[in-house]
Amino acid sequence: METEVRRLHRWSWLFIGAGTIKALIFPAIGAIFASGGFLLARLDLLSLIFVVPAFIYAIVRQRVYNYRFTEKELVVRDGLLTRNVRHIPYDRVHNVALVRNPIHRLLGVTSARIETAAGGKPEALLCVLSLEAAEELRFHTLGEGREAAATGTPTSALVEIPLLQVPDRELARLGLISNRGLIVAAAVAGLLSRGGWWDSDWVKAQDWLSVYRGTRAEAPGWIAWVIEPGSLIANVVRGVALILLLLVLLRLLSMAWYLVMYRGFTLRRRGEDLQAEYGLFTHVSSLIPAHRIQLVTVSVTLLHSCFGRASIDLETAGASEAGSDLSKQLAASGAKNTRQWLAPIVEAERVAELVRKVMPEVDLEAVEWKPIEARAVRRIVRRVAIVLAPVTAGIAAMVAFTPIPLSGWHGLWLPPVALTVAWLAARRWVRRAGYALTEDAIFFRSGWLGYQISVVRFVNIQTASMRQSPFDRRNSMASIAVDTAGAGRFGHRIQIPYLDVELAESMLTRLYAETCTTEFRW
Amino acid sequence: MADRAPREALDPTEDGDATEVEEQLAARPHPAGPPPPPSLVDGEEHPVDPRSVKLARIIGISSILLAAAAPLFGITLGWVLGGIPNVVYLPVLAGLLSLLAVLLTFSFQWTAARHRHLRYRVDESGVRIRRGVFWRKVIWIPISRVQHTDVSQGPLQRSFGLATLTVHTAGTEGASISLAGLEHGIATRLCEHLRPDRERDGD
Repeated sequence: METEVRRLHRWSWLFIGAGTIKALIFPAIGAIFASGGFLLARLDLLSLIFVVPAFIYAIVRQRVYNYRFTEKELVVRDGLLTRNVRHIPYDRVHNVALVRNPIHRLLGVTSARIETAAGGKPEALLCVLSLEAAEELRFHTLGEGREAAATGTPTSALVEIPLLQVPDRELARLGLISNRGLIVAAAVAGLLSRGGWWDSDWVKAQDWLSVYRGTRAEAPGWIAWVIEPGSLIANVVRGVALILLLLVLLRLLSMAWYLVMYRGFTLRRRGEDLQAEYGLFTHVSSLIPAHRIQLVTVSVTLLHSCFGRASIDLETAGASEAGSDLSKQLAASGAKNTRQWLAPIVEAERVAELVRKVMPEVDLEAVEWKPIEARAVRRIVRRVAIVLAPVTAGIAAMVAFTPIPLSGWHGLWLPPVALTVAWLAARRWVRRAGYALTEDAIFFRSGWLGYQISVVRFVNIQTASMRQSPFDRRNSMASIAVDTAGAGRFGHRIQIPYLDVELAESMLTRLYAETCTTEFRW
Repeated sequence: MADRAPREALDPTEDGDATEVEEQLAARPHPAGPPPPPSLVDGEEHPVDPRSVKLARIIGISSILLAAAAPLFGITLGWVLGGIPNVVYLPVLAGLLSLLAVLLTFSFQWTAARHRHLRYRVDESGVRIRRGVFWRKVIWIPISRVQHTDVSQGPLQRSFGLATLTVHTAGTEGASISLAGLEHGIATRLCEHLRPDRERDGD
């Protein structure tokens, strides 16, 4: 069933060129700064340097790029100077993500990322395809066509009722729960610092008073009162108000962020696969074969539990930039993150049901949690105390000898209070931590204020290991960790600390036996 | 598991002593053959080759000496040329030499300790590696999760007849697990034993 050679959509050059320009934006800003603003005045020159070559490159690239479907592989041909032919076997494809921003939608096209277990970058980025071509791509690579032909049902019939739909109200709630606003703010700050604006305007200006006066003079009326000189109390009140305002702003930003990124989040089961669709401006449609899910994590933070909600994310072996968001790209800075949402937010009582639908063999409600060693509390407190004691003692001494309102020997309260809090927190953590081994999977739960539960099926365990630090050995304890494919550097995983050493040994043997009798399927 | 056993008898195409290796690989007692030679697949813990300690010591000591050579040479040159007085030179020299002695002793002992704590154990379905002097770690690699295995030999290792076995899995942290200081023949046999099934690749 080898098909003839397919080419990219005729508007592809627009998107390839835009992508190149986006990649060149920082060099361009750098060039503007290097030229002392000269290039800013000569925009024609700037565009000649950056824009024209980008589009010439894009047009040539569009002409050379082609792909075809063979019996078992997708063959992608690319490369301007060095010809590059890439063979991607269909059964190695983990995800075909279709990403459409408003311009894509205006032109009725989509860009398609083909992700395999190779991690890092997508295996192939088809930019851009018509919608029919994208459907054809999914049809071939994800084997929907083959299954449909076998069962005699048309592909469209495989699209069932959504497993999950997240309404706007829930997304706003999610914005309230999570700290995404801070990340948006950090992104803006990062952009500013990269432009070098902070260095030039703020740090170099050593005459703070003149800066202050200047800002006061320039500030609009509604904000001027905040920086008007006044008494200490007034300043404190203003400071607190400012912080509160900032917090509210951050939460609003966070809500806006979720509404933009995840608007209309819908999770469907499509044959054997899961399809997640979301996005207000940039529409993402991500298709994940269910058996390629390596790890599932349910997160319930303190704020989640206030609202009776939970978040579920999962890890597939392939890196999926389409599934990740700005925070992850920012946090990443080179490190890959392979997590994506199964449900950004869901009612707590629906969690078990949703997980069961994705992994039929995993039932969160039936899990019998086993505790970790209660002796761990003492160890944690001791460790915290070693760090905390000098720090709090130092602060106490500082407070004692500084003439501020709360000075004197009140600082002596600090070490015992800190230690008590540490002890309570440690006790809470140890009580909440738990693990479970069922017929098919291993579970680990941990958390202090909220909690997180991770599940890995035995099929997806690569290696199991046991670690013992010298302190573990003194207390005859050990920890157990499980390694999976495509584990990112961030996020909760199966690492069970403070286990009795004999128990850990037997668990390791059990995990080994389970992995030996199961076969890992890519 | 049953289909794995006959594969162990396959000829690993080893140079020279292929037949011997083949015999040793047969884990199950042969019906009508010579008494079975010691097999790797015995479920017992083994240390790696003791010569690896010697090798590690040579590498460790020579790198310490190399690192120490520069400051020693520099200060001696300064002393010879008269830039550094005796009062400074002798204590500094003594200090450097004693530091060197401490480092050498430590390196000497450390390599032995590391060797003492490095154990591997092979059974029908995988290999277990135990290592670490203070921070200990036991990792168990099932054959069903092995992607591929490598046997590598550096020039020094070659002169000692040693090799490093590296097992690759699809995992992340344990994506490649290496076991250094094995006798080359054992490493090759282990590599063969851990080879993932051919038919599984087609999946």
